[in-house]
Amino acid sequence: MSAYDVAIVGGGPAGLAAAERTLAAGLSTCIVDEQQRPGGQILRQPPATFAVAGWLDGAPYRQARALLARVAADKALHWRGGVSVLGIAPDADGFVLSLSDGCEGLRDVRARRVLVAGGCYDMPVALPGWTLPGVMSAGAVQTLVKAQQVLPGQRIVLFGTHPLMIVLAQQIVAAGGRVDAVCFAQPFAVIAKAALAHLARALWTPAPLLAAAAGLAALRRSGVPVRFSAPVVRCEGSDQGVMRVVIAGTHGEEALACDVAAQCYGFLPQADLVRQIGARVRWSGPAGGWEAVHDDAMRASVPGLYVAGETTGVAGSDAAMVEGALAGIGMARDAGALGEPAAQRAMRQVRRARARMQGFIDLLRAVADPCAFLPEAAGETLLCRCEDVSAGAVDAAIADAGHLGQAYGASAIKLRCRAGMGLCQGRSCEHALIRRIAAARGCAERDVAGFRARFPARAVSIADMLDGPA
Amino acid sequence: MKRIEDNVARPASITVLIDGVALRAYPGETVAVAVLASDTRRFRDDRGGRPRGMFCNMGTCAECTVWIARGDGPWRRLRACLVPVEPGLRITTRDPEAAA
Repeated sequence: MSAYDVAIVGGGPAGLAAAERTLAAGLSTCIVDEQQRPGGQILRQPPATFAVAGWLDGAPYRQARALLARVAADKALHWRGGVSVLGIAPDADGFVLSLSDGCEGLRDVRARRVLVAGGCYDMPVALPGWTLPGVMSAGAVQTLVKAQQVLPGQRIVLFGTHPLMIVLAQQIVAAGGRVDAVCFAQPFAVIAKAALAHLARALWTPAPLLAAAAGLAALRRSGVPVRFSAPVVRCEGSDQGVMRVVIAGTHGEEALACDVAAQCYGFLPQADLVRQIGARVRWSGPAGGWEAVHDDAMRASVPGLYVAGETTGVAGSDAAMVEGALAGIGMARDAGALGEPAAQRAMRQVRRARARMQGFIDLLRAVADPCAFLPEAAGETLLCRCEDVSAGAVDAAIADAGHLGQAYGASAIKLRCRAGMGLCQGRSCEHALIRRIAAARGCAERDVAGFRARFPARAVSIADMLDGPA
Repeated sequence: MKRIEDNVARPASITVLIDGVALRAYPGETVAVAVLASDTRRFRDDRGGRPRGMFCNMGTCAECTVWIARGDGPWRRLRACLVPVEPGLRITTRDPEAAA
């Protein structure tokens, strides 16, 4: 069994920044990632067999790309790409990680310390017609464009509440694609008010604000309509896939033709492995999901386990890099590979950088807050895409559980209607169940217990399980 | 789906079998892109027989799960968005072991 001082789950900005610090301290370090190449979703690289001129050459990507180039070139790094982590189990000497590449069976690796830097994923938002082929997440479209170098459709509509839509629309246009509309559900006044409330502190790091303004202007020049107060209430189409989205505007309903409709209501932390180990998490605002709780050196509540980046709450790649560095310094210090004074100096520096970012992070969270603008999903609309469980069936299960008068959580609903039992293991529907349960119980989402996260975190064949680790 | 041509140099194409049809793909592309390139957005059918497409393209939603075999090797259910194509890959969007 391979053994490392440090195993990092996730090769995005947080994981790479942590690896840079642990490698510098001389600790043997491996990164495990489901993608073939390092970079995470933000720097999802084209295949190594491709050559892409000018790939992500914009200023917002510069710092992360420099980090990626430095760490990827370090021969000391053990990169395990194309590999899923099924579980992390504490043992006497650290942790055992159960890995699967989907083809060669299971493999265990041992690590004294583990950092979970799992990133985040697009919040899947149920609305009528959202299971039609061609309705996908904004992240799906973005990674198809920037990594796979394909345009998934000829007429793309983006809808939701998150300003990432501005960035994505630009990338589609730059790649020669057509964006028929960018539809913000919220009125412009809501965005402006939220932005103004946080503007003073956000100006500590003006670059992302300037980039957003420049992005809007660039879209205007390319003739892409950016609409506000334009909530998409359903997607329509045939067995061939989505053909239009329907907006409920101030003057009634309006249909927009498209062959790809990408939703963008925000992002949920990937924290299933953290939850599986039993480390503390809390409800993550504003979009939802569960974020890992940590101390000021990114230590989780389980000894030897560290967390960084979006796993600790969605805050963007600049914050992820800083948090990853902090975790890396912390792991080096805790392993005895970095002296306390040097560690404290290095930590002070990165903590200062992280503090300066908070203003913009708060602004973006307030501007993008989807809670008041989520579309209605009721009756036959599926909430659980894997097990085909409708909103109506979930609501019936909630009513049934409510009769018992207990503080039931998501698992009680899962047992009654199978929502969350499928291949994605509840990642898509858990937040929706929790919102509905909170509404029915009249409590806050943070007070509703989520699904019990169990091994394996990813689907794996029974034959592989029976064979056990190689 | 359309492959971006400007500023992108791809390796020589290969052939993969998707639902028994030979299709052109480029080494390094994912199986998901190979399926999309076959001019369908369908990756599977749900319990009601309705077609489903890829949703997240980052390994989280599992909507793109298909059956993949290397050459004459066994079928495996894998997320198409995570698996790179390679010569001799067979892909099917319908259960290959279901009774015909």
